[in-house]
Amino acid sequence: MLSNVELKTTDPKHPFGKLTPRMQHYRDKILDAKPYVDAQRAILTTQAYQAHQQEQVDLLRAHVLAHILENMTIYIEPETLLAGNQAQSNRWAPIFPEYSMNWVIDELDQFEKRPGDVFYITEATKTQLREIAPFWKNNTLEDRGYAAFPKASRLFYDLGIIGAAGNITSGDGHIAVDYNNIITKGLKWYETRVLAEKAKLALTDINDQKKLYFYEASLVVIKAVRDFAKRYAQLAETQAKTCSDPAEKQNLLTMAEILHKVPYEPATTFREAVQAVWLTHLILQIESNGHSVSYGRVDQYLNPFYERDLAAGILTADQATELLTNLCLKTLTINKVRSWGHTQFSAGSPLYQNITIGGQTVTGEDAVNPLSYLILNAIAQAHLPQPNLTVRYHKGLSDDFMQACVAVIKEGLGMPAFNNDEIIIPSFMARGVKKADAYNYSAIGCVETAVPGKWGYRCTGMSFINFPRTLLIVMNGGVDPESGEKLLPDYGHFTDMTSYSQLATAWDKSLREMTRQSVIIENSCDLALEQNYPDILCSTLTEDCIGRGKTIKEGGAIYDFISGLQVGIANLADSLAAIKRFVFDEKQLSTTDLWTALQNDFAGPEGETVRQLLLTAPKYGNDDDFVDQLIVDAYAPYIDEIAKYKNTRYGRGPIGGLRYAGTSSISANVGQGHSTLATPDGRHARTPLAEGCSPEHAMDVDGPTAVFKSVSKLNTKEITGGVLLNQKMSPQVLRTPENCEKLIQLIRTFFNALHGYHVQYNIVSKATLLEAQAQPEKHRDLIVRVAGYSAFFVGLSKETQDDIIARTEQAL
Amino acid sequence: MTSQTATKGLIFNIQKFSLNDGPGIRTVVFFKGCPLRCQWCANPESQSGRPELMTAAAGTKKITVGTYQTVPEVLTEILKDKAFYDQSGGGVTFSGGEVLAQADFAIALAQAVKGQGIHLACETTGHAPFDVFKAFMPYFDLMYFDCKHWNPQVHLQGTGVTNDLILKNLRQALAANVPLKIRIPIIPDFNYSLDDAKHFGELFQELGVSEVELLPFHQFGLNKYQQLDRPYRLKDTPQLHGEDLLAFQATLAQYQVTAKINSW
Ligand code: SF4
Repeated sequence: MLSNVELKTTDPKHPFGKLTPRMQHYRDKILDAKPYVDAQRAILTTQAYQAHQQEQVDLLRAHVLAHILENMTIYIEPETLLAGNQAQSNRWAPIFPEYSMNWVIDELDQFEKRPGDVFYITEATKTQLREIAPFWKNNTLEDRGYAAFPKASRLFYDLGIIGAAGNITSGDGHIAVDYNNIITKGLKWYETRVLAEKAKLALTDINDQKKLYFYEASLVVIKAVRDFAKRYAQLAETQAKTCSDPAEKQNLLTMAEILHKVPYEPATTFREAVQAVWLTHLILQIESNGHSVSYGRVDQYLNPFYERDLAAGILTADQATELLTNLCLKTLTINKVRSWGHTQFSAGSPLYQNITIGGQTVTGEDAVNPLSYLILNAIAQAHLPQPNLTVRYHKGLSDDFMQACVAVIKEGLGMPAFNNDEIIIPSFMARGVKKADAYNYSAIGCVETAVPGKWGYRCTGMSFINFPRTLLIVMNGGVDPESGEKLLPDYGHFTDMTSYSQLATAWDKSLREMTRQSVIIENSCDLALEQNYPDILCSTLTEDCIGRGKTIKEGGAIYDFISGLQVGIANLADSLAAIKRFVFDEKQLSTTDLWTALQNDFAGPEGETVRQLLLTAPKYGNDDDFVDQLIVDAYAPYIDEIAKYKNTRYGRGPIGGLRYAGTSSISANVGQGHSTLATPDGRHARTPLAEGCSPEHAMDVDGPTAVFKSVSKLNTKEITGGVLLNQKMSPQVLRTPENCEKLIQLIRTFFNALHGYHVQYNIVSKATLLEAQAQPEKHRDLIVRVAGYSAFFVGLSKETQDDIIARTEQAL
Repeated sequence: MTSQTATKGLIFNIQKFSLNDGPGIRTVVFFKGCPLRCQWCANPESQSGRPELMTAAAGTKKITVGTYQTVPEVLTEILKDKAFYDQSGGGVTFSGGEVLAQADFAIALAQAVKGQGIHLACETTGHAPFDVFKAFMPYFDLMYFDCKHWNPQVHLQGTGVTNDLILKNLRQALAANVPLKIRIPIIPDFNYSLDDAKHFGELFQELGVSEVELLPFHQFGLNKYQQLDRPYRLKDTPQLHGEDLLAFQATLAQYQVTAKINSW
């Protein structure tokens, strides 16, 4: 591969090349920036709502965005080659009062005192927010969502058994628009289409009249975006006037020229294309605060620009990489403040802005191109938690590219993650996605997948169901042991059960009821969002909203499948295994003794004895059919039940309009674990649940192949919303190129033969190894590999561990 | 040995995703029981030919090391990772302990593994009667053959046996063209001197061996001695790293022996 030869540097310390001094400086500044709560967007939004409250909702929302873009503070930092900022300063988090405002006011004095994800706030900001708060009383998405909840369902939400805080306090997000179309045709192409469709309307028909509002709203936002770009162009010109450095002056003038053109006109050069993408991506996150707004297949749509500029001699690989690192840095400047309740579900305030590379072309060829390599380098150079990088894996992905990916994985960023074409494409096509579209999917957020520009919001990211807590409710005869509330029908208390099948039947029926409740909660949120919070720009850029004259929420997208998240898969598996083995099969433990131990959180010597026994049960993640089959069976009622319930767009245009399962629990496992009492897998009360479909922490003691085998037994074909698997790898294991090659073969087997959906590698950090020395029982799964030797890291002597840790540092 | 060892083997671990015991991704079957007593042994729990108690690595619980397993039982475990062997060009490696100490079972298991078309390797000291070794060696696609010392007396001091049988079997294996990789565990104060390297060089030249692997001494087994409540003579000996073996490697090169350092 030509690009690879070109890019391999001789400096072993920087195999990916280094950030340019300009970008290094920019990175330092951004990472040093303190995150503040920013009231400006909230104030502008309030003004616009007050001025336009009589308008039809599409127009109201369009004017809100236009008013913000016209009046918000803009700036161009001296280091950047790309213009566009979300708030008054980098990493400041704007407030989106239309979605939820109560918690903002309630937490004004708490932002700086949080145990994590701290935000700073000035007294002036507090005053400004307090001033606008009355306007938003009973006037937000949250208020409307609550009002729409049927009473019985609200209880599930309030108790946190079904989580939907993100759906009811934020915009939707979880979407990628069609950047290929935007940069090759420009927003003016969309404008032309809108005008043509508008001209066809027969306004005597009320349906056409409704479309008119959407079209007029579209025209408002397209103009607003164009004017916003022009504001930056003018600012660049102004700054150029006072700039004494000729090179910098030229940079500003070039920037101005570009911003007079894109994203309204098609881009001609690579830099124009990157600028158009960034500005659009940014505005989508000014329009709405939904997270997981993703870039789609960046290598595919940018590479033609890159190769053309390279051939024309107006761009070098290094310059392109610098622009890509600039894009990464800009991406990190976007920030979001969530309520503390919700923050626990999304630790580290990630926005999951995904970049997807690799995969296949529509004709099934390997789609990796020179820009795919450049993006890998840029991600490694920038070394940031955002954007998220996903590589679309397929059988024909070259070893050369896989090696480049593993080299980035070794950097320890947990990136790139892999999604598997070999399962995702067929499963999309089976659901009615056209071949050309299925081959063009991209990752959205972290694990989930959709077709950019053609798919509605939230291919995943609907509600969260806490599986282990549901089990406790079932065992307790339908009463939540945490709150004492009766939530589900009574199928008998666990202490009265005499067989595992009794429990299994009770679980099946109860989970179906829980699933129905989640649907009702989701629909309530969707209803409020559709009626009051259409995203006009996002809809305009999503096919076939213009053709249908509808927003995405009204059924404008070509495809509209959604999924929620089922949390605590491994805990449920391990709990069922322990119950079946020790209580019913071997009768080592009575139902009463187990139930008592759970209620007491394993307190006292008796409790601890019970816990130790539970810990010896077969654990999910070790390729043990006994436990793996139990979770497959326990998950089945959900998969079956959720497929029955259409989403609010069914029959209104999109292909789909349906739901499916998904497990990308992100960090919800922590928050939901907090409200879950002790579970029969031996887990203590309020400790985190297992993440996604990964095994429970430190329970996978048979190595990564066994984990893959267990995960692959799940009904992945039906869990189209994503099967999240995080694996950790000790650096000691990857110390030689031969072993890195074996990691590649490990991944290939999981995807080619076992049809896995996703895997992401976290390289075990020095800190974790040090912790494993101190708390070996928590890290008994850390493997080391030496010829002819059998043991785990925690079995090594302190000196040997120290030696490994010291050498780990060198290797990374 | 009792007659039951033909149908059951004493196994102390079946370790998946092993990366340094042959090509590709492998499952290593660790046989328990060894006729040697190497002072540096990193798997001391493998030496005794009987199940034994050992304190768990983390905690104070006693665990039993070694279970008698049938060929189908071990094979079932091995087959679980077949997809990984197929994709990676990997397979199964028998290790120990000393596989040859349970030769009948090892051959029965080897036949079963080969019957599944799986690549099979073993790690052996080669210390077994000539005929036992002869019957054993044809089943392996690759054999890692430990050559711990060139001198019979020093070999005896370090491992409890001389290298007579070992060298005999090594010659036998070479003559039969068994795909071999000779490994030397490099142990300070045992075989680490450049004089040792010289003698190894001469030996390999005479045997017609041009490639060997060097395994630098490590202390990965240290804790296991405590867990077994057994003395460990090398407990204060510092570990060797790849770079410590460069001179040794260079000396071997003088004898046209290419030595690959397989560092931990
Ligand atoms: S031959 Fe191997 S298993 Fe046997 S004592 Fe020596 S090092 Fe240990």
